[in-house]
Parts: sequence; C-alpha cells; structure tokens
Amino acid sequence: MPQKIQIRLASHRVSTSVAVNQRYPKIFTPGEVITSQNEFMRGHGTYEENSDLKASVAGVRQQVNNLISIRPLKSRYNGEVGDVVVGRITEVQQKRWKVATNSRLDSVLLLSSVNLPGGELRRRSAEDEHMMRQYLQEGDLISAEVQSVYSDGSLSLHTRSFKYGKLSQGVLVKVFPSLIKRSKTHFHNLPIGASVILGNNGFIWICPIINNSEDGASGFIQNLEEVVPRQDRETIGRIRNCILSLSQSKMMLYDTSILYAYEESLKYTVPELLVQEAMVDVAILTQQRLCMLEDT
Amino acid sequence: MSLCEAEKTFVLHGVEENFRLDGREREDYRPMELETDIVLHAFGSARLRLANTDVLVAVKIEIDVPFPERSKEGKLEFFVDCSANATPDFEGRGGEDLAVEIANTLSSAYRSKHAFDLTKLCILKGKKCWKVYVDILLLECGGNLFDAVSLAVKAALWNTQVPKVHGVNIDGNNIELNVSEELYDCDRLDVKNAPVMVTVCKIGEKCIVDPSVAEEQCSVGSIVVAVSGDKFSTVLQTGTGSLHPATLMESLKLGHRVAQRLDEALWATLRQIKPGQDVGFLK
Amino acid sequence: MPLDHKRINGPDETLPYSLFAKQSTPSWNQIFKELQKEGKRSDARGFLDHRKVFLKTGIVSQAKGSAYIELDNSKVIVSVFDPHEIPNRQDYSLKGEIYCEFKFAPFSCKKRRLHQKDNEENQYSAIMKQALESTVCRHEFPNFQVDIYALVLHNDGSCLSAAITAAGIALSHAGVPMYDIITSVTLGIQKDMILLDPNVLEQSLCSGPILDDTKNSDHGIVVISILNNHNQISQFYQSGMISLEKLNQTVELLQKACSDLVPLIQKCLVKHVIKTLKSSGEG
Repeated sequence: MPQKIQIRLASHRVSTSVAVNQRYPKIFTPGEVITSQNEFMRGHGTYEENSDLKASVAGVRQQVNNLISIRPLKSRYNGEVGDVVVGRITEVQQKRWKVATNSRLDSVLLLSSVNLPGGELRRRSAEDEHMMRQYLQEGDLISAEVQSVYSDGSLSLHTRSFKYGKLSQGVLVKVFPSLIKRSKTHFHNLPIGASVILGNNGFIWICPIINNSEDGASGFIQNLEEVVPRQDRETIGRIRNCILSLSQSKMMLYDTSILYAYEESLKYTVPELLVQEAMVDVAILTQQRLCMLEDT
Repeated sequence: MSLCEAEKTFVLHGVEENFRLDGREREDYRPMELETDIVLHAFGSARLRLANTDVLVAVKIEIDVPFPERSKEGKLEFFVDCSANATPDFEGRGGEDLAVEIANTLSSAYRSKHAFDLTKLCILKGKKCWKVYVDILLLECGGNLFDAVSLAVKAALWNTQVPKVHGVNIDGNNIELNVSEELYDCDRLDVKNAPVMVTVCKIGEKCIVDPSVAEEQCSVGSIVVAVSGDKFSTVLQTGTGSLHPATLMESLKLGHRVAQRLDEALWATLRQIKPGQDVGFLK
Repeated sequence: MPLDHKRINGPDETLPYSLFAKQSTPSWNQIFKELQKEGKRSDARGFLDHRKVFLKTGIVSQAKGSAYIELDNSKVIVSVFDPHEIPNRQDYSLKGEIYCEFKFAPFSCKKRRLHQKDNEENQYSAIMKQALESTVCRHEFPNFQVDIYALVLHNDGSCLSAAITAAGIALSHAGVPMYDIITSVTLGIQKDMILLDPNVLEQSLCSGPILDDTKNSDHGIVVISILNNHNQISQFYQSGMISLEKLNQTVELLQKACSDLVPLIQKCLVKHVIKTLKSSGEG
C-alpha cells in the first residue's frame, strides 16, 4: 500500500529545535571587535585592524591559550591531517585524481598514495598511469585519510590502508561538517546490521556490513552483481533518515547518537521518518537519552 | 554531480525491491509544504516545497483584448523563470530550454476547455477580457520539477481573486469598465479540473513517481502526464531513452492513479487554509 | 514567451480576412455532424486511413542529407547537416547531440506565421529532438552535433509527424548511423470519432472547440513516433482531454499505422541507393 501523500501548510510547520537549555554563547558578526588587547594571536576567522582583533565570519569564539579564532556556524570543510573523508572523484589527471570533498578546493589523491593491486611495495610503472581510469573513474566514491595539507589549503589524501578505498553499493548522505563529532574511529560496523563511515568532511556513507579482508586489491572492486537483501536495505534506509533527522535538529553525529536515534525511530516505519513531526520526535528522544547518559 | 555505477546499482535494486533509498515505495511522494497568498502585489500566489525543490508562483491579472478568432475567451499565459539561485547551471541562458519545456507543457495541459474554462475570463465579447499571467519562479531544484510546478500553479490559481466587474459602459468606441472598488469583492477562478502533473520515471524495469535527484540520474526515460479530473490533458515523453509500448501503457496507468491521489491531497490541504492567515515565506 | 521586438517582423496587428466573412464557414458542430453522417472524410478517406504519402530524398543539394514528404497537401522539407563540433562547449560529452529546428514557412498556414520561432514551433522542435535522440547512434560521434532543420511549406495537418518521418529519411540519406527506421503518425479524437492522420480542419476540430451536448467527452491530438524493428516508442505527445481507455486504444491504432509506413520508407531509401549507383555507373 502506498503511503498517503502529505501536503502540509507552512503554518503547521514544527520547530526543529531540540536545545535543552536556551543559553546561547555570544555570536560575533563580521567586523565586530573581539578584543582590543594585543597580547592575543590572530586565528582563523579573524583579522587585525588598528590593533583591534575583529571577526571576519559570523560564529562563536574559541580560545586556545593566546590564540583566538572564530568558528563559523556553517562552513565548508577545513581539513586536518589524519581526518577520515569520503569524497567523489571529479577528474583523472596525470598521476593524480581530483576528489571533491566539500572543502574549498578539490583535494588530490596521488597515484603514489594508493595501494595498487599486487602488494604494497609494488613499483608504479607507466602502465599504471594509463590504467588509472580503471582503478578510479569520474563519479566514483572513495574513503580516504588526509595525508597533508598544502599551503593553499587543499588536501592531499591517501588510501594506504585496507579500510580505505573505493566504495561499493550504499548511499551517501551530506551534512554540515561541523556536525560530525571527532572520535577515535570513523568507521563503524553498527550492531544493527550496517556499516557507517562518518567522513569528517560531512559526507556520510552507509552500506551493508563490510567484511574486511586484508586483500589489497579489494580497494578497487565494486560488486555490481550482488543484490543487497531487503533487510539490510531497510536498515540502511532507516539509518539514512535518522541521520537526516539528527542533522536537521543540528545534533552531533557519532555512533552512539546514531544508534540511539535508530532505536527511538523503530516505532515509525522508514518512510514515515520523512515527515517532519517524526523527525523532530526522534531527535528529541535521542537528545533525552544522550542527556541521561551524560548524567549517569 | 554524477553518481557512480555502484550507487546507481543500489538505487536500481531498491526500485525493483519496492524499497527506495529513503524507504519510500514506488508510488510514494515525499512530504510537501504549501503556503498561499504570500506575494502582496499578486492577485494570487503559492509556494510549494517538495524536499529540496522550491517553487514560487504568482498570478497577475490584467485587462487585454481577446484574440479575434476566439473572441469569447480570456487569455492565460505561463512563464517559467529558472533563477540562477536554484543552481549555477541556470546562469545566463542555461535554464531556458527547461523553462520553455515546462511553460509549454503547462499551457498544453490547460488548453482544453474541460481543464480550464477561459470563457469565464471574458468581460465583453471581442473587446475586453482578463489576461492571466502565471509567473513561475524556480527557487531551488531538487528533482521532480513538473509535479511541484503543477501543484503550485493550481494552488496559486485557486488563491487568485479576480476583481468583480459591475458593469460596462459603451460609448461609441470607448469602453468603460466599472470595476468594484471593494477589496474583498472578488471572484474566484474555477480550478476544480485544473490539471495535476505527475512524472513517471522508468528505472530498470519498473516505474516510480516523485524521483529524487539521484533517481533521476538512474532513469532511462520518463513520461510526464497531466491529469484533469479522470482524463489526460497532456502526456509528454522526456529524457533521451525510448519506451516499449507495454511500459508506456503501464506508466500511463500509474500516472493516472497517482495524479488522482495527488489531486485529492492538494484539495485536502487547500480546504484547511483559512483566509487572512498570516504566514511568512521567510519566517 | 516575450517576442523579440527589436527585429521588424512585418505588420504586427493584422487579421486574416476570413474572420470578417459573414458566417460563411459552418460551425464546428455542423462539421462534426457531417463527418459522422457521411462515415468518411472530405477526401473520401475512411476515418482510420492514412493519406497517400509521397517521399523524395536529396531535395536540398547542399545539405548532407535531405528529404521531402507530402501527405496530400501537407508539405515538409527536412535537411540534415554534417556532424560538427558543438560550439561554445567546455565539457566533453560522450554522446553526440542533436539540434532540431521546426519552422512553419510564413505562408504555410491560413494566418501568416512570423519569422521568429513562436511557442508552438519551439515545442515541436523539442518533440522532434526527443523523437530522434533515441534513433541516432549518438555514441558514434561524441562531442559532435548534428543539425536537423524542418520547414513546413504547406500545413494541412499532421505536420509534426511528417517532419519526424522525413527527418528519419534525411538522416539515413546523410549517412548518419541509426538504430532503426523511425515513423511517426498523428491521430485526432473528437467524442467517439477517431481520425487518423487528420488534416488541418480535422486537427482543429479535435484540439480546440467543445461541441454541444458534450459534458464529459474526449477530444485531443496524439502524436507518436516508433522505432519499428525494436518496437520502441521514442516519442509520445498528447494534448486535449482523453480518458485512459481511449488512450490505450489509440496507442494500438497508431502502432499499426506506424508500421504500415515502414515499407514505403524502405522502398524510398532503396530507390535512392539504386539511383546513385546507376548514375555513378554512367559517369
């Protein structure tokens, strides 16, 4: 049975806020003076004028010792070495791939920073350069780690580990990068029967459980024949909708929050989770459970 | 941004399984949001949001002279503007083809007298008539434009208030219209049979409605049907692929069924609208 | 769409004299009744008969390929120009593009047509493109564009279909690789009467006016283009107001009519080849 078609009136819109305490930190706007004392160091999102330190973006103030920076509310991804990212190949060039990673500039994946089939220590020959499109072509999704940051802010990625590489069947969800909580691991095999890669750049990949085999070649193979069974598909769909509910209410995303949201969402069917009330309800219930967890 | 083969396969299998990426079945729509009467300078307006697709429609009415060959009818004209706000691809003349396609489909769908009666817009036969300009602004594109546009247009026409004409004085060649000065002394347009469009998208061997952007990329061809009452007022094939006759029949049937459900849902929502409700589009 | 007023289009506000003739033309009701009573059409055809078709290739010597088609009084010239690189394009497209232009000559209709392409012509161009895109093996000329121009010399109904059929012949005359022979047929419906390959009078009888004593009857125009060997519908367009059952019925009728045209086209193409062989043998 198809679902009822929902057309709601804008006046019946529900608030998506789940903030428990209504205390907001001070928000600076561009040009606003942060401090006029000059013992502070100028960080990101600030500039100096007439010995005043002023904000150049709208956001909240962060201070580490003497370094003051303003973190914008919404920004593109600023990469740091060691981050896990999910990205899409946009261009195949000489000895390198260009990867869209939601940062200001496209990131680079060098041919020398991928593990080619046939062992890690294999020499890269001219043939490999010709074969590049066979490994990764335009539109392909990869998971990778940030190896270094160039002076212009663009990122150099590497996939030199069995857990990185080309992504196969699954679904990509995009959220604000600031909603991804940094943690020890960004690869989660959730006990509910799906794998999630929380890219620091705000791209989240949800797919059926990956059976990690330490076979170097697996990084470039997509299994197009395999049909994902219905049950996995439902789990993936539910996780996708839960992540969107949490991100709509601006809640941090990490394994526990996603798991809680998943559990709280079980009273709804998957398509029902597209409805705003259900989304907010799931977010609020998750928020409450997370608070309880903190208290104990 | 184009999807890779594996993602397309995932979408395709999901469609076959009748469980799409977001859990919808093949005939399910994403939730929509509608508001009317939001443009002050217009005689009627509506905004519809379907996932990421956002459409703003405003109706303007002006006085014109009827076409000589159709002297008893008013005029109705659609104009679509693909704002570069929606996607940078629309910059310059980028969105023109799409805009013309949507506008032409709409005027084709509204052309039949059963769908929209233009004779009601005539003021004085052969001399004066109302001309209804329907301006459609695409604010955001998130797939499934035709459906969203047709719903918004119908809601805006429903919302439209045509000033009452109390009398006409003819003095030689001069025609004087005696238009009501009362603000609320207006006629509504009859949009009972105004067509609703449904895009039926063929993915793999199955047909779906309300495709998301990802699903549109996986589709080999699609059919846009405009249904008014229980009849088709326009059917148009879009996309680059061709269809087997059996698929065509199947998608016509599907479109017909879904369009009726969509129309019902729209009416149920329109009935909830109370006059004078103050809703801000930017709120 | 706003017209380009910078160019001079000739006199702007003119009317065909026939509008002022004193009711010389019978009303639509009379025409319909007449047709119904006679059981056949003005040119003695049955309702489901196609008009006689005349085909000729190589009518425009400077084009790569061209064709001329005559459906009694409907006369259309189509010319095809070489694939050439797509102008002003940055990104590389794997598949070739097709550009179609459908134009009515200024003197082709009762009313004078302007040189500027109007909405109807834009729409027909888009439909033609849709029909031909899945016919041509576009992957064989990546990043190139084939131009197809159709010019209607005399409009006596079913011009779009004639143009599409002729474009198929012109394309094969030009040696552009194609999957199949494409044929297209138009059909009109008014009440219970189905008119295959309508002429201009029948076409306006089916598309426009509502007859008396018809509360909820069907009327409309259906255009279909079919790749016959593959049994694929490459283009489908309907306007008016037609019920689902009727539409299904017309699709079947049109399929048959389309396949009837195929031998004619094959014959025409073979004739062309033989003629070229002969002339080269002589020379």
